[in-house]
Amino acid sequence: MITQPATRDADAALISASLTEPEAFAELFDRYSGMLYRYVSRRLGPGPTAEDLVGETFLVAFSRRRSYDLAHPDARPWLFGILTKLVSRHHRTEAARYRALLRAPVDPDVESPADRVAAGVTAQATRPRLAGALAALPAKDRDVLLLVAWGDLTYEEAARALGIPIGTVRSRLNRGRRKVRAALGDTNPMLGEE
Amino acid sequence: MDDLRMLRDLGGRLEHEPPATLARQRERLVRAGSRRRWFGWMAAGLVAVATVATVTAVAVPALLLGDSQRTVAHPVGGRPAKVTEAMNVLLVGTDKEANRGVPDDPGRTDLIVLLHLPADRKRATAVSIPRDSLVELPTCGPAPARTGLIGSVYGEGGLTCTLQAVESLTDVRIDHMVEVDFAGFARLVDALGGIEVTLKRAVDDPRSKLTLPAGRSLLNGEQAVGYMRLRNYGDGSDVARIRRQQILVAAMVRKAKEVLADPDRLRRFVSVVAESVTTDSALDLERMIAIAETLEGRDLKLVTVPWGPHPADPNRIAWKQPDAERLFASLR
Repeated sequence: MITQPATRDADAALISASLTEPEAFAELFDRYSGMLYRYVSRRLGPGPTAEDLVGETFLVAFSRRRSYDLAHPDARPWLFGILTKLVSRHHRTEAARYRALLRAPVDPDVESPADRVAAGVTAQATRPRLAGALAALPAKDRDVLLLVAWGDLTYEEAARALGIPIGTVRSRLNRGRRKVRAALGDTNPMLGEE
Repeated sequence: MDDLRMLRDLGGRLEHEPPATLARQRERLVRAGSRRRWFGWMAAGLVAVATVATVTAVAVPALLLGDSQRTVAHPVGGRPAKVTEAMNVLLVGTDKEANRGVPDDPGRTDLIVLLHLPADRKRATAVSIPRDSLVELPTCGPAPARTGLIGSVYGEGGLTCTLQAVESLTDVRIDHMVEVDFAGFARLVDALGGIEVTLKRAVDDPRSKLTLPAGRSLLNGEQAVGYMRLRNYGDGSDVARIRRQQILVAAMVRKAKEVLADPDRLRRFVSVVAESVTTDSALDLERMIAIAETLEGRDLKLVTVPWGPHPADPNRIAWKQPDAERLFASLR
């Protein structure tokens, strides 16, 4: 993770400034478009659709910037929330992407032999099963699970992103993880329920 | 290795770095950031609307245009000189959904409008060119010079040959071209929230699948397309159809002015416009916005090339001279 310079304004300050100077909003794009693209490329694959969804996310955010709660300095959950809604329109693409992994394994590992012994083999072998579990999850559970696992949001942030109570985030996440573990064979009894 | 870590590992494998073209999305945002630009886009929508309002019922073979690169090339070779700072934009409406047209009526354009902005940009004129005009067509691509319907050119040589034919016939230099299809037109009407028309008598036309009572009606996108495509209404002529299209444009312009006041509807309309038009490569968004801004707040004068029945075939149209030539001279 790259650390931002200390002088950088909070996202909320940019959003506030953009109410009078709309150009200020472009700075938010510069900060987060790459992050959002990487996230959506995981879920839907790279290409024009992914680019368009990132663009659309910022257009929606821009049109709703007046209703942004300035008490939250970090705009990432807000942006992820908008993007999640947009991604849901492409659920077929997403499911097809995961299902494709069931048939063909992802790129071969390039780790050292030692790594491969340690974890690589396990990881590579389980990827198709993981993908299958993701494809089978109900959309709401998958959204929560991937915001946490791939979007690096905390539970509080995921709750804010989706506009749901934190308890709901926990229960959806637990349900999602339980299914993922079941698909993996659930061999480790030490993995609790949080 | 726990499940979340394995998920992250899978995510890492699936991840891609943002491409350079992501910068286009930033431009999209920056454009949205300026209120003035929004108005420009709105008016760009009106240009598109004026275009599609001239769409007719004739099928045109699907034009093979990619979604990402919706542009066409300007013709090469002898063209009218650009003598003034006036700007002329060729607007063409097409039906790319071939199955919606008449099966034994292959590829003709649906009509053609020449939008004229004089050097001082103080007013705008949209000249409708009846697609049934029987005229002397120049060579374009594999097609030889011949006498034919101007509306047939699009089916054979696309937008570029249509532009060349209009230039050759009018001696007016055309700077840009814009194309919109039926589906795009219907989307524009829906994005406007429908448009209101007043009918002298009820319509029940199975061919255009349109049933409307006499008096005022609010048309959705599909009905508006049906209204434009009506053939057995009024005197059933091409020119009567153009008149209906012009009424429709006027109604759309009125409606579009309401949309300006509502940012959410405006935003939706603007994104629909962007998806619904094809342009020449020189007509970039900035240029389109500049044209649109010229039109903003001005009345668009709608005229038709002066015409009469063709002596060789009364079902065809001949341009009336010297009136037509006088009109074209005013556009140069």
